[in-house]
Amino acid sequence: MDGASSMQSADLSWLDRPDVFRVNRLDAHSDHRCYATQGEAERDSSGLIMPLDGTWKFKYSPNPQARPAGFYRQAEAPADFDDIEVPGHIEIAGYDANQYINTMYPWEGHVYRRPAGLTEGDPGVGAFSDAADNPVGSYMRTFTLPEHMQGERIHVVFEGVEQAFYLWLNGHFVGYAEDSFTPSEFDLTPYINETGTNTIACEVFKRSTAAWIEDQDFFRFFGIFRPVKLVALPKLHVEDISVRSLLDDDLRTGAITVDMRLSAKEASCLAGATAEVSVIDPQGNRIASQTSSPEQDGDATLAFTGIADPQLWDNGSPNLYRVDVRLIDASGDVCEVAQVDTGFRKLVRDGVKVSLNGHRLYILGVNRHEWNADSGRSITVDDMKHDIDVMLRNNINAVRTCHYPDRLEWYRLCDRNGIYVMAETNLESHGTWQKMGAVEPSYNVPGNSSVWEKVVVDRAVTQYETLKNHPSILFWSMGNESYAGTAIAAMDAYYKSKDDGRLTHYEGVVHNRAFEDVISDLESRMYDPPEGARAYMSSNPKKPYILCEFMHDMGNSLGGFGDYMDLFDDFEGFLGGFIWDYIDQQLYAPDPLTGEKTLCYGGDFDDRCSDYEFSGDGLLFADRTEKPAMQEVKYYYGRYADGNHIR
Amino acid sequence: MEIIFGDVVTGVHGDDFEYLFSWQAGGPVSFKVDGREWLYRAPRPAVWRATTDNDRGNGFPIKSAMWLGADMFAACSKTELSVDGETVAKPLSPDNNAYGGPVQAETMTMTYTYTLPVVPATTVTVAYTVTPDGAIGVTVHYEGKEGLPELPAFGLRFIMPTPAKGFTYEGLSGETYPDRMAGGEPGEYTVEGMPVTPYLVPQDCGMHMRTKRVMVTRDAVLDNSRRDERDEFSLTFAQAEGAEPFAFSCLPYTPEEIENATHHNELPPVRRTVLTVCGAVRGVGGIDSWGSDVRPDFHIDAQQDHEFTFVIKP
Repeated sequence: MDGASSMQSADLSWLDRPDVFRVNRLDAHSDHRCYATQGEAERDSSGLIMPLDGTWKFKYSPNPQARPAGFYRQAEAPADFDDIEVPGHIEIAGYDANQYINTMYPWEGHVYRRPAGLTEGDPGVGAFSDAADNPVGSYMRTFTLPEHMQGERIHVVFEGVEQAFYLWLNGHFVGYAEDSFTPSEFDLTPYINETGTNTIACEVFKRSTAAWIEDQDFFRFFGIFRPVKLVALPKLHVEDISVRSLLDDDLRTGAITVDMRLSAKEASCLAGATAEVSVIDPQGNRIASQTSSPEQDGDATLAFTGIADPQLWDNGSPNLYRVDVRLIDASGDVCEVAQVDTGFRKLVRDGVKVSLNGHRLYILGVNRHEWNADSGRSITVDDMKHDIDVMLRNNINAVRTCHYPDRLEWYRLCDRNGIYVMAETNLESHGTWQKMGAVEPSYNVPGNSSVWEKVVVDRAVTQYETLKNHPSILFWSMGNESYAGTAIAAMDAYYKSKDDGRLTHYEGVVHNRAFEDVISDLESRMYDPPEGARAYMSSNPKKPYILCEFMHDMGNSLGGFGDYMDLFDDFEGFLGGFIWDYIDQQLYAPDPLTGEKTLCYGGDFDDRCSDYEFSGDGLLFADRTEKPAMQEVKYYYGRYADGNHIR
Repeated sequence: MEIIFGDVVTGVHGDDFEYLFSWQAGGPVSFKVDGREWLYRAPRPAVWRATTDNDRGNGFPIKSAMWLGADMFAACSKTELSVDGETVAKPLSPDNNAYGGPVQAETMTMTYTYTLPVVPATTVTVAYTVTPDGAIGVTVHYEGKEGLPELPAFGLRFIMPTPAKGFTYEGLSGETYPDRMAGGEPGEYTVEGMPVTPYLVPQDCGMHMRTKRVMVTRDAVLDNSRRDERDEFSLTFAQAEGAEPFAFSCLPYTPEEIENATHHNELPPVRRTVLTVCGAVRGVGGIDSWGSDVRPDFHIDAQQDHEFTFVIKP
């Protein structure tokens, strides 16, 4: 079965089948902003969106067999359903136990499992669909479309659901999705009640075959943990837009290309319609515009060439241009205004050297998990803004989204604030090959499996298509600690096929160098001591050298930072690194003795196995205050950031 | 300045100060300034630090475990006294019957030698030199011994009877360690209370490298007749003339108390001040937390002698 199959009914066995990871889930598209009117665009407040966050009805079941199967057929939640807040984790709502664990799979010692799909048709061992350790969250809520959305095509977007979920609307099966950290979008139009009450229902499973590749070193949560929204598609709609800002070699002349894919409610809407595409400079001046006719031109490709002396985008000067698309129907009415931010920057790899806009690129980075001590990985835009401020204040100029894509707002904040992003695909499978520190890949996934290759390439496609327009993204990262084989090579080939001027990154190929020519533009290491870095860079290095993780800031740490920073002075091929990591992962819980709100960690919830305090490696404590080590980061990164301007 | 040759304690008095050096407790038992006590128990050599995550990861506490015992159970094996540069061979009874009253002096030095229960055993000597202005010069000497594992710390630990309101120091900003002090900006800093850095697992913290002086301020005494007083009073520990700056931490807990806690809410209520003045500090490391050692320059070699000097100024 193809991963993107169209199916009419739900099947629990999909949880056990790595070849089924999305059913009726729409193809990913750019995260451009859409507005119904120019006024909405100016206020950055879209009337095309209706949030579905808030209180949902909820039933927790300890395993799939105990779930209230068929509840989605009812118009209202059964009486024994509770209330739950969306977004949020089911564990933090008190239904299921918190567990923090690193490399080991969360079922270690509890359930014997081997991944399905190592070879075609291999069912694996230890199914998820009838597993005692696979709790289910059954969610339901009702909504009524506001008048201005009635009659439009309606999609629903789940921005993050961990780890596998089935969706119904008004009793009809809508679709199924995995990949916890990218948006899952479905078309609700066929089943929607335009004027009456709609009932949306989901079953969210804590585990599925996706668990094998979502073995990140973090608290293991499930549930709808990022926002959910309805989106109305106006009769003319920009489905996808790819904006590229290109620079001549002398950086004095720019060009912007715009590739659009449009959709219409009915083909007749296209008759006489126009797409007016404008380029707005960082000061807000419209510097160019063109008009195309979707009816005649189809999906438009436009080029704005000869932009003289474009204002470049970098860490010190995050100059953003904007592309505005106005879709206008035959009678001259604006149907939709779409906006994309873009920036002129030229990333060049020349042998082992990497430059941005003609200057050496210094990656003064941190790894950042999304974290909030009250709400886990369900974070707010204020949390993100706080993090940006911390980075700017401390000369941190880069972030690796370890080890999954972040909430979309994060990338826009990085665009605006000049934070370089290593955008990491949602992939980590170290439990399949790293056994108590030893490399033992006997059942590694994705490995060389053609089945798993489809899964991980789909994740790469989703990340690329969603985030492709963000100037802040300089690197596509295939994932973390998943060993190396043909599947990851296929991800690399996919990202490279986009030829978008970015570099690819993956560390795990150092454990299987047979793939080093087809995986990763960078020689990436983690926790290599300074001597190891020197040894690589001194002996005819093939690639620029980067530390995707270094300076493990667990507890009272970050000693000897200067020995790494000296590498900038001694080697032109040293690209820098990302400190591990940004923020301690701890959760607030009441102290059993005093009832006081206290920060807890792995093992504090009777969670076994656990890796205990190993989640506390941040430059920030879990309450977002800075650790004392931050002044050292500010000092050393400041030597190369030159007041947040590239030296 | 006058010396009182007691039967158990040698006291030294001057304007506004009275210090009692015990022959029984293995150290000074009282530093009283303006009638307020600064010592809860006799100071002891500090040779342990509450294990950090990186220490645990690289097995340092396993290799250096014997220093934990030495930190808790060092015994005073020798006490010596000199007054105005002359050794006083017979300061105690019945020889002290000969003094017939207080003795005037310009300087007095008490030297305590501690034998540390490590294998092979070694010694730390602490010499306190009092002058008429009430200043106490302190010199701490560690005797290196071949075969001893690296030291987690080397300092002198003062436990004060009540909690500090705060401290003011001239040194580097923030919490610094020898391998993490480049970002510390020199200046004068005032810290309120005795913050224990809230690392997820309580561990050594609060070190301040390259310090020229630290003034500890308290506002309470245990003296029942002055129990309700809340006037602030201070004592300064300063770089000695010609000596190197020192390092210190000012915390409410001993390393052993911190060592035993897995969470901050397990630490006891704050009752005292633990000021540790250090002559050598081990780096914190940071390459990883599962094996990499602290960089070579930032170890404390127990096979070499170490010595540091500072002065306590009322």
